[in-house]
Amino acid sequence: MSALLRILLIAASIFYCGWTLYRIYRAQVKIEDAIFWICLSGVLLIMSLFPELVILGTELTGVQSPVNFVFLCMIFILMVKLFHLSMKVSALENKLHELAQRYGIDAFEKEQTRLPRETGKSSEDEEK
Amino acid sequence: MKTLVIIPAYNEEEAIVHTVTTLTQTCPGIDYVVINDGSRDRTSRICREHGYPVIDLPVNLGLAGAFQTGVRYALEQDYDRVLQFDADGQHDPRYIPDMEAEMTRTGCDIVIGSRFCDQKKPVTARMLGSRMLTVAIRITAGKRIADPTSGMRMYNRDMIRLFARNINFGPEPDTVSFLVSRGASVREVQVQMHQRFAGTSYLNAGRSARYMLHMFVSIFLIQFFRKRQLN
Repeated sequence: MSALLRILLIAASIFYCGWTLYRIYRAQVKIEDAIFWICLSGVLLIMSLFPELVILGTELTGVQSPVNFVFLCMIFILMVKLFHLSMKVSALENKLHELAQRYGIDAFEKEQTRLPRETGKSSEDEEK
Repeated sequence: MKTLVIIPAYNEEEAIVHTVTTLTQTCPGIDYVVINDGSRDRTSRICREHGYPVIDLPVNLGLAGAFQTGVRYALEQDYDRVLQFDADGQHDPRYIPDMEAEMTRTGCDIVIGSRFCDQKKPVTARMLGSRMLTVAIRITAGKRIADPTSGMRMYNRDMIRLFARNINFGPEPDTVSFLVSRGASVREVQVQMHQRFAGTSYLNAGRSARYMLHMFVSIFLIQFFRKRQLN
C-alpha cells in the first residue's frame, strides 16, 4: 500500500467518523444505526494504520494488489449492510401497511357504530 | 406529586395479570398504564378484560418506543414522575414508595431501583457486563452507578420532557450515562428483584454482544459528541 493511499484512508475514516458524529449531534440519526458506520470507519483506520494486515489478506486470497483487497473487503461489508437495510425497509413497509390498515379499519368501525344513532348530537372523535 | 407507572408489555399474556395485580395490591391508588407494544398474543385482550388501562400500539416499536409512548402520555396528563416497570414480574412494587421518597427528599432527576446499592454484585457472566458498564460510566460521567442495567427507573418532570421529545433517549444505561455527564442527578435505592414470572428473556448471546457494543461505543465515544446542554 502506498503512503498516499494510507493517508487517504486515514483522512477518509476520520472524516467519515466525524460526519457520523455530527449527525448524531444534530439528532438526525439513531445511535443504534450509527454504530455500524462508526465501526466501519474504525476498520478503515485499522487497515491504513496496519497495512501488514491488508498485505497478509492479499497474499492469502491471491488478490493482485493490496488496494484491491481493501476494495473487496469494503464491497463485501457494504453488500451485507445493504441487504440488511433492504430487510429493514421491507419490515418498515410492512409496519406502515399494518398501521394504515388498522387506522382504516378503526375509522370504518367507528363510522359503522355511529351511523344507526345519527340523531342530532355527533360524538367527536376521541383519538389521541 | 403524581407518579405514573409505565409498563411496556410485549407478548406478556402469562405474566401481565400477576404483575398488575401485585402492583395494585401493593400500591393501591397508584396510576399506571400498560403499553401493549404490538403483541401478537392476548396481552391486550387480557388487559381489557381485567379493566387495566392499556395503550395499544398497532405495530411493535421496541422497548424504547413503547416506553416513550408512556412518557408522552405522562407529559400530556401532567404527571410529575414516571416509573419504568417491567411487565414480566421482575420488579417489586414494594420499593416504589422508597423511590418516590428518595426523589422527593433529594430532588434528583433519576432514581434507579438498584440491586447492588448495599449488596455485593454476584460474579456471573451476566453481571460482568453490568460491572463493565459501571466502570465505563464512572470513567466518562464521573459517577458510580452500582446497577446501570436495572430496568426499574424513576424520572422526574425534566427528564419526562427530554424523553418524550427526543430521539436517542432510550431507557438504557447509555442514556443514563449521557444525562449524568450533562448534569442530571441520579440516586440509587436498594431493591430486590425476582425471577421473571413467565416468558423467556429477550437477551441471548448475540443480542447481548450487540447490546454491549452499543453501550460501549455510545458511552465511550458518542456521548461526548452529543448536545452540551439539556433542554
